[in-house]
Amino acid sequence: MAVGLTMTDARTGAETAAADSARAGRRVARRHGPPRLLFLGAVALFMLTPLYVLVVNAFKPQQQILAHPFGLPVGTLTTRYLSRALHNGQFDLVRGYAVTILFVVAVNVLSIVLAGPVAYVVARSPRRRYRVLLLTFLAGTFIPSQVLVIPVVYVLKALGLMGTIRGFVLFETALTLPFSVFLYAGYIGTIPATLDQAAAVDGAGRLRTFWKIIFPLMKPVVATMVILNTFSVWNDFVNPQIILGPGSGLYTVTTGVYAAVSQYATDYTVVFPTLLLAIAPLLVFFVIMQRHIISGLTAGATKG
Amino acid sequence: MMTTLRTRRAGDGAATLLMVVPAVAVFAAMLVVPVVLAFYLSLTDWDGYSARPHLVGAANYARLFGDPAMRHAAVVTLLVAVVGTAGMNLLGLGFAVLVNGASRANRLMRVVLFYPHVLSALVVGFLWSAILGTTGAVNSLVTAHGGAVLPFLSDPTWALVTMIAVLVWAGFGVNVVLYLAGLQAVPRALVEAARIDGASRRQVFRHVTLPALGPVVTVNLVLSLVTLLKTYDLVVSLTGGGPAGQTQTAAYLILWNSFHDNRLGLGSAQSVVLMVVTAVLALAVTRVRRRGELAVFS
Repeated sequence: MAVGLTMTDARTGAETAAADSARAGRRVARRHGPPRLLFLGAVALFMLTPLYVLVVNAFKPQQQILAHPFGLPVGTLTTRYLSRALHNGQFDLVRGYAVTILFVVAVNVLSIVLAGPVAYVVARSPRRRYRVLLLTFLAGTFIPSQVLVIPVVYVLKALGLMGTIRGFVLFETALTLPFSVFLYAGYIGTIPATLDQAAAVDGAGRLRTFWKIIFPLMKPVVATMVILNTFSVWNDFVNPQIILGPGSGLYTVTTGVYAAVSQYATDYTVVFPTLLLAIAPLLVFFVIMQRHIISGLTAGATKG
Repeated sequence: MMTTLRTRRAGDGAATLLMVVPAVAVFAAMLVVPVVLAFYLSLTDWDGYSARPHLVGAANYARLFGDPAMRHAAVVTLLVAVVGTAGMNLLGLGFAVLVNGASRANRLMRVVLFYPHVLSALVVGFLWSAILGTTGAVNSLVTAHGGAVLPFLSDPTWALVTMIAVLVWAGFGVNVVLYLAGLQAVPRALVEAARIDGASRRQVFRHVTLPALGPVVTVNLVLSLVTLLKTYDLVVSLTGGGPAGQTQTAAYLILWNSFHDNRLGLGSAQSVVLMVVTAVLALAVTRVRRRGELAVFS
């Protein structure tokens, strides 16, 4: 209907004034015709070129990379460097995956277990102290993590958690709390409180009511937060680099990539395979779930 | 009836505490206490090891404003933030208009524009340095055809421009998505009314769509600015702060001073300043934009 109206509008314009019709025609062509698609195609090419360079060169020997950086690995195709990158001397990428996945899972689970219940209490209680609490959490979303990392080192040392997995997971989880509580509380507010009352009549306590009745209804918002936290933990570089430190021997994918690539920046048979393996899991995840991921990450981006 | 309700509430007290206290404790210990500590540590000579740092008053702040390296980093950071914000938002809005619509090409294009945001900034930096470095992919091609090496990362000015360009490349997809959401919220009736009144597409965009996008523009500007002011990972992987420290940002210096030179007191003072500057700039943009929005509507 709406589209039909604009089309008719353009046609009437074309019939009444010749000059206007020519301009309108060109405009329509620019928006929908081949020039627009050509332009978008060129931009897409530019956006994807780095990815293309990364993929083709991960399968080539150094000589081939230097001679034909944009060429397909025909004839010289080899997976030797990829498998070498998987078990690099500087850092074991397979172990890096395992450590990073462990962190991602731990932070996600802990974040849900901590933020879910408090968001429920805040959303359901009219008390002033909980409104103040929600505002305090909300203020937390504005704190840049760069400001935190130095004093957090101080706190973790005082608690004896510096350089430990527990300390790192605790801090990464804390970073997820403000936005999680804010998002969860808003979502719980849209779930009718009559559900809670029905559960209470059946004798369920508050904790049970939350986990058995309310939490299962929160799937969409929890999915958004899980996507957001997964990407921020997987891609985080500063916090694992500083809190875990090189001394701990614990490398995530990013700190491991840094250790492996920064020393051999001109050995492209190390650089390209390592980088490709570092991003492959998230890239595959992104391609499969792109719609959810784009909306989740965009929601996260606006939190600051 | 009253009594049963009251006992239930009293009985739930313990459960409620159990639901609230753990999250509040973690939040307080890892976020609230450190923010307060940052101010305290900025007044000390903490080296990262001693349990009791000495108070040195405002010495860190005095040093910070007097040091040429830090002043240079401040200029670089502001340049990155301002030019980057302009780039991300011009491209973001432009491409949002171009790919607005449900066709398959548009949907594909949105994914293509957004995907670099999925990659860690560290990987993005290493990848582009392998492409634009002295022996990188582009220069291999250029020298093979008899050209001179292009100093994308080895000349100070080129390196800064390259860094900003890569930041925009990696980040403007988010702006596209946000502007798209804004465009879809612009009332169709408004646009159609203007078209029927004979306004050209350009006029409609300038006088109907853009004013209706007002708040979205503000969000995008503040978002890009705040993100770019803390640029760190990409500096490490793309330029390493070089050549000759010319592309060091404030965040890069903060972490360098703190964890390379073990001067965490000085680093704290820098992060406090960065936090204040970020807050002031974000507020200023919001203020100016709000006045602008009112002017458009009046």
